Amino acid sequence: MSVKNILKYISAIICVLAITGITPASSQDKDDSDGSKNAKEVSTTLIPGSKTGTFEEKARFTYVVNNPTGNEQTGKVSYQAFTMKGEKLQGQTMPVKIGKNSSGRYDFEIPEPKAGFYKVDFMVNVTDYDDTTRRAFGIRPDELRSNYAKPADFDEFWDNAKKELASVPPNFKVTYMPDSTRDNRKVYLFEMKSLDNLTIRGYLTVPKVGGKNKKFAVLLGLPGYQVGLPPMFGTDNDLAIITLNVRGQGNSRDVIHTQRDEYIFYHIDDKNKYVMRGVIMDCVRAVDFIFSRPELKHDQIIVSGGSMGGFLAIATAAVDHRVALCSAQNPILSDINNLDGEVDWPLIDIRKYISARPALSFSKVLHNLDYFDTKNFATMIKCPTLLGMGLLDPIVPPNNAYVDYNNLSGKKHLIIFRDLAHEVGYPYKAYEGRWMRDTFGLF
Amino acid sequence: MTFTRPVLKYLLVIILFTIAMQNRAHAGGFPLRPGRLLIQPSVSYFFADKEWDSTGVKKPFPANGKFNSVLISMYAEYGISRRFSVVALVPYTTNNFTQTGFSQSYSGLTDLETGIKYYLANINYIYYFSLQGTAITPMYKNTVGQPNLGYGEEGAELKLSFAGSGTLFNRNYYFDVDNGVRQYFGDQGPIQDRYNATFGLTLDKQFKDQLSVSFGGFYTASDNKRFNLENPLVNKNFEFKQVSLSYGHSFTRTFSVFLTGGQFIAGRNTGVGTSGSLALLYRLGN
Repeated sequence: MSVKNILKYISAIICVLAITGITPASSQDKDDSDGSKNAKEVSTTLIPGSKTGTFEEKARFTYVVNNPTGNEQTGKVSYQAFTMKGEKLQGQTMPVKIGKNSSGRYDFEIPEPKAGFYKVDFMVNVTDYDDTTRRAFGIRPDELRSNYAKPADFDEFWDNAKKELASVPPNFKVTYMPDSTRDNRKVYLFEMKSLDNLTIRGYLTVPKVGGKNKKFAVLLGLPGYQVGLPPMFGTDNDLAIITLNVRGQGNSRDVIHTQRDEYIFYHIDDKNKYVMRGVIMDCVRAVDFIFSRPELKHDQIIVSGGSMGGFLAIATAAVDHRVALCSAQNPILSDINNLDGEVDWPLIDIRKYISARPALSFSKVLHNLDYFDTKNFATMIKCPTLLGMGLLDPIVPPNNAYVDYNNLSGKKHLIIFRDLAHEVGYPYKAYEGRWMRDTFGLF
Repeated sequence: MTFTRPVLKYLLVIILFTIAMQNRAHAGGFPLRPGRLLIQPSVSYFFADKEWDSTGVKKPFPANGKFNSVLISMYAEYGISRRFSVVALVPYTTNNFTQTGFSQSYSGLTDLETGIKYYLANINYIYYFSLQGTAITPMYKNTVGQPNLGYGEEGAELKLSFAGSGTLFNRNYYFDVDNGVRQYFGDQGPIQDRYNATFGLTLDKQFKDQLSVSFGGFYTASDNKRFNLENPLVNKNFEFKQVSLSYGHSFTRTFSVFLTGGQFIAGRNTGVGTSGSLALLYRLGN
């Protein structure tokens, strides 16, 4: 399904600030693995034995091979399991003979003794057809823990960052943008001074309802990697929406304006100068901004974002307990030390940076990144948190995202999309809206 | 899956929900927003010229009897917190009964209902459970030889509600199922089971128009099995089931109007009632 179609599908009831890259949630019960619509071709369907793709002892899958052709299909179906780093585990092959105009249904059980997530390929090789379907599954993921400890001075590091931020006068400046006002919402451009005295900008949209005393719950929308956020609209009359452009992104690129690839390692040599330290403080300053506005409810703030926005949502809720709800989708920089060998990004760009600096080692960078690890922030969160993950995520592998979840000690809810990659489906966003409304009493 | 940079351009998608069923006639089983006040004045007309006898056989009132009643009521509900809301109902009724050679008319305030509703739980923030305790306080005194406006007894009710909303056939729907057990504290009770199930559907995407159907009824038990034709309000041992159809229109975010028609479809020891009502709903505060 194209982006346009998705937007059409949800446009009746949602406001979408769409950038790019969305694909729809697949059916959670059935998967047309090869996507073929041609009734006269062999096709496959893979049916996992659990809605979330997680199991206690053995993963169960049913692999269905449909043969609408007039030819008998002989050959084999098989599976091959792998670790998330691609190391081969067990597999199984079955000989098959599928009569013309019929189908074969093959049940596989994949026992894995160790808790964790695994990749699995299902393959069919028959007379007229060869295909591979790639999926992932989890075994007792609630037992997953990181092998890498949180730095002992992690909390202190962030306390110091906040103290530094507090020494910067925010100088909030709010500009009404009548030309941008639509959907019965007033639009404001705001700017503020943040860490290192950088000017950070964003947008606030407020419904044009209620009297002067009307106060609104606030959604603080946090950006993905190198995404500039415009004002956000919609028909929700109970919610003010802030879209924040952190330093080096969108309309906050006055001082930091890196190439796209370079942003992730900007000043990574020094954890006190690393770009993400300032970025997270920009988010805290945005909470300060909310507290400066009398029309906003200061006890009803939800932070939400995906990818880098998910990372920022968790980091902000961790270091600033004025946040009431945290919603993070596919948060990057999760269990960073365990990313090596599992994903390309961001390590590929970081390695490229290190290769040009002989004095800087990979282990030093990983040590610095420990202070920016989502799973470490997760331990500090006190507010209810919603986390979304895709089992096929090539940037935030499920092992890593699940460690974030397991590190949350407060009220939490996880939504797993077993057939999605670096994205979440509509059910997540629908749940997020209902959860937020219920928690804030916006019945 | 191969990693590609554009995947990182993660979208920020935010679903801005308006509650589809904010123009429900009552909050019902749904919790009410803290600080919000619902006020619903209504007028309804009830008519019966037939009865179901003690065995459930339908027949005309004897001597060309006809009963009608006009009920004016004021319902209010206020959200005091996320979990609690308080409710009150003040009814005023005028009852008329005529039959060949006889007629009577009487009116007055009847039973005041005051209660507190507690939001018990939800399932996935879609289905809601609530529990309501209500005190019944008669605002009249029954006098021997005069028509009565009710049992003249204090009572209490405990009501469990289950409500939910969603989409069906591209429309937004809601449902609300209530069951309340009410005990009047007089010598002969009665004890009542009052139940109702409503299903509503919005007719447009702005949630301005809605249609709902309801099925409900009373089951009332008492040692006093007498059927009072002239004054059905004081019957203590009866039951009925009714269906109703309601249309609601929201003129603004804070003001809606509901038109409802209802018909008793089965009963015992009660009149065969037909009713119509007009209700105005004001949503004030938050």
